[in-house]
Amino acid sequence: MPEAPFGVLAVYPTAQALLDAIPGIKARGFSNLEAYTPFPVHGLEEALGLKKSRLGTLVFIMAALGAVSAFLFEWWTSVVDYPLVIGGKPLNSWQAFVPVMFEVTVLFATFTAGLAMLFLFNKLPFFGSPILGSKAIRRTTKDRFGLLIMPVEGVLDVEAASAALLETGGSEVEVLAAPDSTPPGLGWWFKTLSGITAACVVTGFGTAWAIKIYPTIPPMVHMEVQPRLDAQKADSFFADGHGMQLPPVGTVARGYMPLLAKSPEEAGKELINPLPVTPAVLQKGRDLFNYHCAVCHDRLGTGKPWLTSAYTAKPANLQASTYRKVPDGYIYYVISEGKGAMPSYAADLSANDRWAIVDYVRALQRSQHAKPEDVQ
Amino acid sequence: MSSGSGTTIRSLLLLSAVGFVGAAATYFVEGPARFWANWLVWMVFGIAVGLGCLFIVALEHQVQSVWSVPLRRVPERLSSLALWVTPLVLAALLCLPVLYPWARPEGASVPAIVLKSAWLNTPFFIIRTVACVALWFVAYRLVVKRSFEQDRSRDPMITVCLRRHAPLVLAIFALTLTTVAFDWISSLEPVWYSDIFGVYLFAGTFLSGLAATTLGTLYLYNRGRLPGVTEDHLYNLGGFLFAFTVFWGYIAFAQYMLMWYGDMPEEVFWFKQRTTGGWLALALILGIGHFFVPFLALVSRKAKISPKRLRWVSLWILAFMLVDLYWLIFPAVGAKVRLGWPELSFALLFLPLGLLAARAAMAKGEDTPVGDPFLQEGLEFRL
Repeated sequence: MPEAPFGVLAVYPTAQALLDAIPGIKARGFSNLEAYTPFPVHGLEEALGLKKSRLGTLVFIMAALGAVSAFLFEWWTSVVDYPLVIGGKPLNSWQAFVPVMFEVTVLFATFTAGLAMLFLFNKLPFFGSPILGSKAIRRTTKDRFGLLIMPVEGVLDVEAASAALLETGGSEVEVLAAPDSTPPGLGWWFKTLSGITAACVVTGFGTAWAIKIYPTIPPMVHMEVQPRLDAQKADSFFADGHGMQLPPVGTVARGYMPLLAKSPEEAGKELINPLPVTPAVLQKGRDLFNYHCAVCHDRLGTGKPWLTSAYTAKPANLQASTYRKVPDGYIYYVISEGKGAMPSYAADLSANDRWAIVDYVRALQRSQHAKPEDVQ
Repeated sequence: MSSGSGTTIRSLLLLSAVGFVGAAATYFVEGPARFWANWLVWMVFGIAVGLGCLFIVALEHQVQSVWSVPLRRVPERLSSLALWVTPLVLAALLCLPVLYPWARPEGASVPAIVLKSAWLNTPFFIIRTVACVALWFVAYRLVVKRSFEQDRSRDPMITVCLRRHAPLVLAIFALTLTTVAFDWISSLEPVWYSDIFGVYLFAGTFLSGLAATTLGTLYLYNRGRLPGVTEDHLYNLGGFLFAFTVFWGYIAFAQYMLMWYGDMPEEVFWFKQRTTGGWLALALILGIGHFFVPFLALVSRKAKISPKRLRWVSLWILAFMLVDLYWLIFPAVGAKVRLGWPELSFALLFLPLGLLAARAAMAKGEDTPVGDPFLQEGLEFRL
């Protein structure tokens, strides 16, 4: 038995003629129909008895999968693989995950819709339907309405189908041969892949060549090109050939006087607090103490704040008699250089800031150990 | 039929009377705070349904949509609910010292409230409220009233005129609804800031208006009073309900997430209050009921054209607008979730009255705007 054709095609003059013809053709036992119209025709889907597309269901499932996998990935990265506390939020902050979940949901949904439509439901790769080679195609994209009868389970009575089309008002009946359905051989794959490779090579070299021939012309260069010596670049201006020179030995940047003392005790002997104790200084000291110090030393300097339970270091109790007796320079040195687990605060606090904190620590100590005459 | 409907009206009025007794008892037994909180929930609900419908009418004229012309009479009729609510709004002015901290003498000692006192003070509040009420009457006149005249006169120029008025009505809608959101709900906790809150109430309002329009349309559709209206028209209503369910979810979550992230004390306390204890359960119910359930119920194409599905989803959305308002308003007046006979009494008082008002409104004019020149084109609309 010869292979069944792709189908038998006829054209109808109007959309209504097409709609009217379909029931008659169905009554003759042809159920696998397809219509080709220049614009959407209402009621055609129902008349042809097209099944509801499964694309929506697939998209819904994939979208849900996208939401779930985005959540799992975010949870894994921020709770399991690389836990970082950000802004004091819990590691598993679902609120922060939602925007990404939303984006991934949309991504999965659109990719599924596009790719599933092309590859699963439209059966790509497929190099052109036989309908594109028909005579009717010129008119069905303009002012005629085509109807195609396709084989059911590989069987189609061409004679009966042609008769059915003609009897229901169709004209220009043509039989479309089935497309070549043999899978492409080795030669086809070779030709296709080498064609793609050749295209890439030609484009790549062409681009590189074009850039060489036609150099890019920057619109303005006066920011980029300046008469100056760049760091890390060679330059003949100085004898040693370096663009950037080291400062002379012993240079001190303004406002960055280094500590000469080698220990807190030494600093306590040498350094004198330059700041007078005024309300403004104490106010500044209080603000800075509460920003930088209180998190470990507590707002009263007792060393028993809310963070001590989280780690094992024991911040100094500034109210202890040892620290009430040490000179100002001692505290200044510790703030500048750090002590034990405490890091240096020299980068965050200027010399005056540190002295203001020292003054405030003194005020705190006095406030907790006030003598009767302080109240008078 | 008429005697049957008479019985219905009488029993509704009876229910309402029972509710009235309960509501009055609330005032004396549970205190004025709970009374006025309930009052506020139903007042804003009425505004939402009425103004939502008015907004739909204005929007249709503004974008010159044709598919919706055969259905336009429903939102036009129901937008009169916004006018029925105005006595409730004016009466609610009595509750200012009871519910609003800024209207009480101790408000003057809170710096954050003093900062806002140029806006939040009793005389200006009353002026704004009266202005809003007046503007709703103006808006109704501008964009709804003449449409009923068109039933008789069949004058196509009325359509032109209504379309010209639409932008003004949209501006009135935006200003007054934002004022309602900021004044009546947000200022219950005057320290709180949320710029997006007006949009949040708008999302609920548009959704309520759409739900009411859908219910009214289905009421007529099921009785065959909308000849020529097809599933394609229903599909558009369903699509709108679906889209603005998502919009509500988006706005609600955006407001929550930004405040949760920023963690500013003057913002986040509002959510803290509403997501701890019993309020957390209510917040979860709200998120699931106001977003996930309508979303899943309307996601398929079949659902958007099924009258049964559309009806229960619309009722569901209206119910969750009430839950939303309860969740917005009640935490400001009491620390615990309280749902008892006072809330039931208020439901009994206002639901039958609302149904009667809707019923009276639905009798107004023809079922479709027969004088609109675009009616035939609208009926021919197919997807």
